[in-house]
Amino acid sequence: MTAAACFAPIVVETGQAIELAMQRLWLTGRILPAGARLTVQHVFRSAETKPIEVIYSFPLPRDAALRRFRITGDGFEAHSEWKETEEAVKAYEEGVARGSLAALARQYGDGVENLTVGNIQPGEQIAVYLELIAGVELRDAGFRFRFPFTLAPAYHARARMAVVDREGEMELPADEFGDVILPRFREDPSALHQVGFELSVESGLEIDELGSPSHAVRVKRHGSEASRVTLAAEKDIPNRDLVLDAHYRETRPQVLAGFPKDGKGRFAAILPSTSFGAKTESPRRVVILLDRSGSMQGAPIAQAAKAIEACLAALAETDFFGLVAFDDRIEMCDTHLLPGTRHNRDRAHRFLETIRARGGTELAAGFQKAVELLERGGGDVLILTDGQVAGTERILADARKTNTRLHCLGIGSASQDRFLALLARETGGVSRFVTPSERVDLPAVDLFAPIGRPLAAGLKVTGNVQPEPPAAVFGGAPVLLFGEIGEGEKVEVSWDGGGALSLPVAFSGSETGETVWLLQGARLITDWESRYPSEEVLAPVEKRRQSRVAARLRDLSRQYGLASREVSLVAVVERKGDRAGQLPETRVVPTGMAQDTRFGAYFPRPGMPLAYALSAAGQDPSTRMLNRRLAMAPNPAALPISTGAPRPPEPGEFTRMFGSAAPPVHPRHRATIAPPPSQADAPGAPPFFQSLLRRKRGHAASAQTESPEDALLALASAMDSDGGMPGRNEKDRALASVLALLAFVSHGHTPSSGAFRSHVARLVAFLESLSGLDASKRLLAEKAIEAARQGQAPPGDWLRLAQAGGDQWLALGKALAE
Amino acid sequence: MDEEKTLSELAAETGIPARTIRFYISRGLLDGPSKAGRGAVYTHAHRERLEKIKALQAEGRHLSEIAPLMDCGDGERPSYPSAPWWQHTIADDVLVFTRGDISPWRQKQIRDAIDEMALRLRRKE
Repeated sequence: MTAAACFAPIVVETGQAIELAMQRLWLTGRILPAGARLTVQHVFRSAETKPIEVIYSFPLPRDAALRRFRITGDGFEAHSEWKETEEAVKAYEEGVARGSLAALARQYGDGVENLTVGNIQPGEQIAVYLELIAGVELRDAGFRFRFPFTLAPAYHARARMAVVDREGEMELPADEFGDVILPRFREDPSALHQVGFELSVESGLEIDELGSPSHAVRVKRHGSEASRVTLAAEKDIPNRDLVLDAHYRETRPQVLAGFPKDGKGRFAAILPSTSFGAKTESPRRVVILLDRSGSMQGAPIAQAAKAIEACLAALAETDFFGLVAFDDRIEMCDTHLLPGTRHNRDRAHRFLETIRARGGTELAAGFQKAVELLERGGGDVLILTDGQVAGTERILADARKTNTRLHCLGIGSASQDRFLALLARETGGVSRFVTPSERVDLPAVDLFAPIGRPLAAGLKVTGNVQPEPPAAVFGGAPVLLFGEIGEGEKVEVSWDGGGALSLPVAFSGSETGETVWLLQGARLITDWESRYPSEEVLAPVEKRRQSRVAARLRDLSRQYGLASREVSLVAVVERKGDRAGQLPETRVVPTGMAQDTRFGAYFPRPGMPLAYALSAAGQDPSTRMLNRRLAMAPNPAALPISTGAPRPPEPGEFTRMFGSAAPPVHPRHRATIAPPPSQADAPGAPPFFQSLLRRKRGHAASAQTESPEDALLALASAMDSDGGMPGRNEKDRALASVLALLAFVSHGHTPSSGAFRSHVARLVAFLESLSGLDASKRLLAEKAIEAARQGQAPPGDWLRLAQAGGDQWLALGKALAE
Repeated sequence: MDEEKTLSELAAETGIPARTIRFYISRGLLDGPSKAGRGAVYTHAHRERLEKIKALQAEGRHLSEIAPLMDCGDGERPSYPSAPWWQHTIADDVLVFTRGDISPWRQKQIRDAIDEMALRLRRKE
C-alpha cells in the first residue's frame, strides 16, 4: 500500500485513493529589496474518467496582485486577458459550457484567490503559469520575503466547519464572501502536491546573510549583491509559508530606478529608520492586546506572555499601559491605563498567569476595547496575534475609524501577513511577522521599543509619489517610497523639525523600471482593497461594484495591468473534440493544515468536540465560567462526550486528545489546589533573581531549555520601573545594573540597536542618575556606560555573572581594568 | 411539464453562481441536468432544491449536514449520529447538552444562555 493510500482520503464505494488533481506548485522569480516579481507554476493532471473542474484556493502575499497567466497543454498555449470580474466569470462559464478548457483567476475578500480550471479531460495534463507581484517586509538591516504555500483556516463567527472524507472543510457565508471556495484542509499533508522554489535575490546593498527559518535552502552567490536560493530537498509539502531573510552588511538608503516601456523614470526608495535620527524619550501610552484564541495555543501564547512582561519592563513610571486579552470574550488587567510602576507590572504578571488560549478570534472587539482604554489621550496599541480571522476588510474599516495606531506582531506558519501588514499600515503603525520556529518574545520586545515614540512625522517627498508617505516613522521600520523621477533628479525627502535627505538615483535597465512600476501598482491596489467602507464590505456584490473604491480599483487595474478584487484574469482554449454541455466534476484541491495549527482547533471530530478544540487548557470557556460560579455545587463537572449516553472521560483520554500528560483540573478541586512550590524559595539565589525565577516558573515556556535570549528576557523582565535592576540598596542595585548592562551589550544590544535597546537605554540612564556611589564604583559604572555606547563589552561571561548575583564588585573591577 | 432552463438561467434565477451549482452536483446535493450534453437542462425541481440548500445554509448548516437532510424529504429530520456533544452540569439536578460542531456564533449564543440560566438558578438557592 502506498503512503497516499494509507493517509489520503478514499472513495467510499471503491476504497480507492482519490487522485489529486493538482500535482505540483513551483515558485520562481526575482526578489528585490522593494518587492518580488514571481511566477507560480501549477501542474494539473486528471486521472479520472470524466472531465473535471479543479478549484485551487490560495492566499495572496502582502502587497500582491496578479498580473497574468499562461496556460499550456498538449499542443497549445494560451494567455489570460483581464476583464471586470463579472465579464470574466461570464467568459469562463461560456467556455465551460462550450466544452472548452477555461481558466479563471478571481480574487475574493481577505486576499483569497480561486484559480479555477474547467474541463480538464481524462488523462490530460495542464500547466498554469501565474505571474504575480508581491511586497516584502522591510527591516532596517534587510528584508523578509514570505510566500504562502498553504492557506490557514481562519476564524469567522458565521463560518461552518466539518470533517468530510477525513479532510477539514470550511464554508464562509455567501452574503459576505460570495462564491469563494476554500481548500480542503488535510491533517497529514504528506501525500499532497509537491511544492518547491528557485528564486533569485538581488539588492543594491551587499547581502551579508541569506537564509530561511521555514525551509532548508541552498544558496548560491553570484557576486556580493545577488544570490540564487533553491529548496535543498527535491520537493516539499504545502503546510507552511516559505520565508526568506536577507541581511545587509551595512544599513543605508537604497534607490531602485529604471525606465519601463512608457519611458517615464520610476523609482522605489528604501529609507532605513536610522536615516531619521534618534528617538525621543517622551512618555508613552500603550495598550498591549493579546490574542488568546485557540489557534494561539502552545508556545505562541506562552512566549507572548513572557514578551509582554519584558515589554512592560521597558516602561518608565511616567508611561501608562493597558493589557487586554481577547478571544470571543475580552478580559482586561484593569479598566483604566496604569502607570508603569513595579506594582502595576506585578498586577500584569498575575493577569498573564491566568491567560490560556481558547475560543475564537474577535479581533475587532479586542482592539475596540484597547482603544476605549486609551480614551481621549490617544496612544498606541500593540497586537500580538496569529491573525487567523476571516472578513478582514470589515476589521480594517473598523480599525481606521478608531484613529489609533495599531502595531502588529503576527505569529504563524501560514501567512496572514497581508492582513496584519495592512492593519498596521492603514492605521499608521508597523508590523512584523514571525514563524513558529522563531522566538516570539524577542521580536515583540523589538517591535515594542519604538512604539509611541515616532522618529519623524510630516514626511514630504518632491515629485509624484504614490502612495503617500507614512504619517510617522518608527525605529526599525524603513520607509518605502514609489514615484516618478527624471534623469539627473534626486529623491528629496523632508520632515517636521527641519530634517531632510537628498538621495541620488542611479537608473538600471527597463526591467527594474517595470518591476518598480508593477510593485507600486500592486501596493496601491492592496491599499485600496482594504478601503471598502464597512457598509460596502458587506453589501451585495452589485452594490459593492458601484462603490467609489471599486471604481478606483478598476482604474488602477487598467493603469498598471494588474488584477484586483474588481478585475479578474480569464483564458478559454478551444481544443479538438470539445463537447458542448458536458458537466465537469468539481474537485477542490486540498492543502495541508498550517504546521503550527492543530486540525482539531478548527474541525470537530467525533470524540473531539469543537468546544474542547477551541480551549487550549482543555476546558470549554463557558464551563470554566460556570465552574467559578458553581464552585459550591455538589457535582460541578462539565465533561466532553461523544454521541450517546453521557460518560465521564476515560483514564488517559485527555492525554490522547491533547498530547499532554496533565488533564484539566477538575473544577471542584480547582479552588483547593495550592500553588506549586516556588523555585524562587531556593536558598542561595540573590533576592532579585528569586523574584525572576518565580516569574519564569509560572509559564509553560519555562520548560524549554534556557538560551542566552531567555536569560536576557528574564533580566529585562526583572528591571525596576526606574530603569535599574532590583537590589537591597543603591550599591547592590548599581552592581546588578552594571552586570545586566554588560550582559546585554555582550549579546549585541546597545542603547540604539538590538531588541533590548530600550532596556539598555534605561539601564544607562539609571546608572547615570546614581549619586551615592564611591569614586571607584562610579568609575566602573562609567566604564560600563561607555562600553554600552561603543557597543562593545569587555571580554567575560557577563550574562552568567548577572544571573549569579552576589557581591562581585571585585570581579567586575578586575574585568573592566583589563 | 417543468419549465426547462440552462445552467446560466438557473444561476441567474437563484442567485447561485454556476460554478457553485456544479460544485453542489459533484457533492451529491443536487441531481445533474435532466439531459446530457448540448441539451443539458435543469428543471423547477433543481430550483427548489437550491432554495432549500440556501435556507439550510442560512441556519448555519454545513453542506455535509445538508446532504442527508436533502434525502429525507420534508418534515423528516435525521438524527446526528456522529456529532460530538458537550455536557454542562449546571447543578446537581440540571444537565444541559449542546452540540459541539455548531458554528462559533451559535456556540457563543448558547454559552451565554447557559451562563444566564446558571446564574438564575444560583440566585434562587
